[in-house]
Amino acid sequence: MTGRVLRVIAVVYIGLLAVSSLLLFGTLRLDRARGARGPVLVSVWRGGQRTERRVAASEAEAVRVLRDEEGLPGATRVVDQIADSAQIFRLGRLLFASSVVPGQDGVSATYQGRTAYLTPDDLLELEAYEPEVQIGSLRLVLSMDTDKVLSALARELHTSLAELSRRGHFRRFCLTPSASYPKRVALNDVTREAVKDAVKNAARYLVTNQHRDGSFRYEVDALTNTDSADYNYPRHAGATYFLARAANHLHDARLFHAAERAAAYMKDRATLRCGAHACVGEGKTVDVGASALALLAYVELYQGGATDFGDSARDLAGFLRSQQRSDGDFQHIYSVSEQHPVDVQLEYYTGEAAFALSRVQRLSGDARDLEAARRALTFLVRRPAWFLGARYFWGAEHWTCQALEDLWQRAPDPVALRFCLDWQAANRVIQYSAPPAAVAYDGAVSRGPIFSPRLTPLASRLEAAVATLSVARQAGVEPAELQVLDNEIQRGFAFLLRYQYTPGPTHLMADPRLLFGGFPGSPTDLHVRIDYPQHAGGALLRYWELDPR
Amino acid sequence: MTHATPRPIMAGGSDSGMRLTFGVLNAIAGLIVLLGVLVLAQPRYWALDLPAAAIGIVQWVSAVGLLAKRRWGLRALTIAAWLSFVLGLAVVFLVVLTMVFLRGVHGSYGMAALVVSGLVVALLVPYIVVVPALELLWLKRRQSERSS
Repeated sequence: MTGRVLRVIAVVYIGLLAVSSLLLFGTLRLDRARGARGPVLVSVWRGGQRTERRVAASEAEAVRVLRDEEGLPGATRVVDQIADSAQIFRLGRLLFASSVVPGQDGVSATYQGRTAYLTPDDLLELEAYEPEVQIGSLRLVLSMDTDKVLSALARELHTSLAELSRRGHFRRFCLTPSASYPKRVALNDVTREAVKDAVKNAARYLVTNQHRDGSFRYEVDALTNTDSADYNYPRHAGATYFLARAANHLHDARLFHAAERAAAYMKDRATLRCGAHACVGEGKTVDVGASALALLAYVELYQGGATDFGDSARDLAGFLRSQQRSDGDFQHIYSVSEQHPVDVQLEYYTGEAAFALSRVQRLSGDARDLEAARRALTFLVRRPAWFLGARYFWGAEHWTCQALEDLWQRAPDPVALRFCLDWQAANRVIQYSAPPAAVAYDGAVSRGPIFSPRLTPLASRLEAAVATLSVARQAGVEPAELQVLDNEIQRGFAFLLRYQYTPGPTHLMADPRLLFGGFPGSPTDLHVRIDYPQHAGGALLRYWELDPR
Repeated sequence: MTHATPRPIMAGGSDSGMRLTFGVLNAIAGLIVLLGVLVLAQPRYWALDLPAAAIGIVQWVSAVGLLAKRRWGLRALTIAAWLSFVLGLAVVFLVVLTMVFLRGVHGSYGMAALVVSGLVVALLVPYIVVVPALELLWLKRRQSERSS
């Protein structure tokens, strides 16, 4: 190949690439900012199901559509205006599944002159956004579930999935922004009153979804009002802890009673013997996490006046201390069947144990609890020379900085404070700003550029962020750094408040009354698990407690 | 007015020096392709495995031929260079179109994906486009010199 041939190849190649790119981009892009231009979709929803759909050519025509159906009991009439649409290529299932923005785009199909629309609400109701697929050993999250979407469109068009896949023409579309959900919450709306209301509502969700025996509905599908079959004691204990804290700070007897019942459930049904001490869990092995979080709940209840949890708290503290290693870390598992600790480490548990031991010392007055907590915190924030050798690194571990805050008056650790400030700086790097992110996502933390953000990873980081802010103020950290941290926190709370079910997208819910106050998993995952309101409510409560400046 | 003589793109470097350079480069490139695609990348996918295996094997054969100073080494290098060059251009084309696809679907929200994909292209181009192109230029120059 001569130099001249190479130059010709380069020019042709770059030209071809540029033209292909421009054509592809022009075909795919949507203008989300522009006003309504497409048809108007009028739907009626009852009990979480869409019962009617009409397509009107204009807004004026849409005003008259489905008015009788709107009057039926429990019916909600929803009007969606299409702002823009773009082609979806039929070049395979993977490409089809990657052709929408989860939570924001709908899909339409045209077949034999008829067009069916699946709005973002329809796709949420189908749980078609962000499915996990397994390809060999690889687990991928796609933007939408091709099978669910094509099947639903085929049903609407009265044809088969195969026929529609062969002959249908597909487009994605975006709607003009909805005023109802997510709510329009700006930074100025994150007031003390708003924060307090959000805490109350989160606690109220847990009380509403508590069984008589003290356990909770572990994970509620908002769309169907059905329960997950799973249960998890660390999360039960965490929810109990939040309820007890909210009860104490809001002086709410109903919340306190619910927390007592939840704690009694652990004490009576899930407390085992681990050597000389009590531990919380079930089965042949238990983890340190459930005991640590139960201990936090017991301490909170004790401080609220339920002194009968004092002995249980001291017993659990003894168990945690017995699991501590010489380097300050903990053995995270205990074999109940063989009655010995198992020296393995899992995420979160060391931080939880450190925080719990710090808290219980206020009740026990035992210097060993304080010393154990202090050593654990020192271990957690120690930075090894070789980062790759670190057992813990910046992720979603949010208990360390809460332990820092609780210990600060009794055992201040400036190294831990620097660690927590740096961690929050790292979190700000992955915090979305709008623009360029969608307005509703401003303040959320990213989990990748093409996925919708989840609420709980942000909420737990905010628990730590508020604890860090509290210590930073006491330690006299520079006002500029405090301001940046406070701004990060308020933007995070604005995101959480936008998505809290107060009341949320009620037309998609089977029983909105039971969901009130809950926080969903993400904008595309409308399930509420007990730790979602726990973390979000816990972070908000910490902020509400903080001296406003 | 006189015209300056065009400077050959692959000027400089002895024949044995270039054989050694391209032999070592192809051996490393072949190893990276074979290890990266056939060992590290999971799961197995024929559309990736077959071209990668073809490139890796041809690169290794040409490396052995060049380093052992075999007569067929240059022929193997020609095949390896053309194969890598064409597939390299195709891979870069697909990566760029994937970037455009993500940008088109996700808008400015896909900026991080754009940056990562851009980095992938920047890392790939020297190995899968530039090196094979240099090899082809050298082969042509060498052929011209021999024939003149």
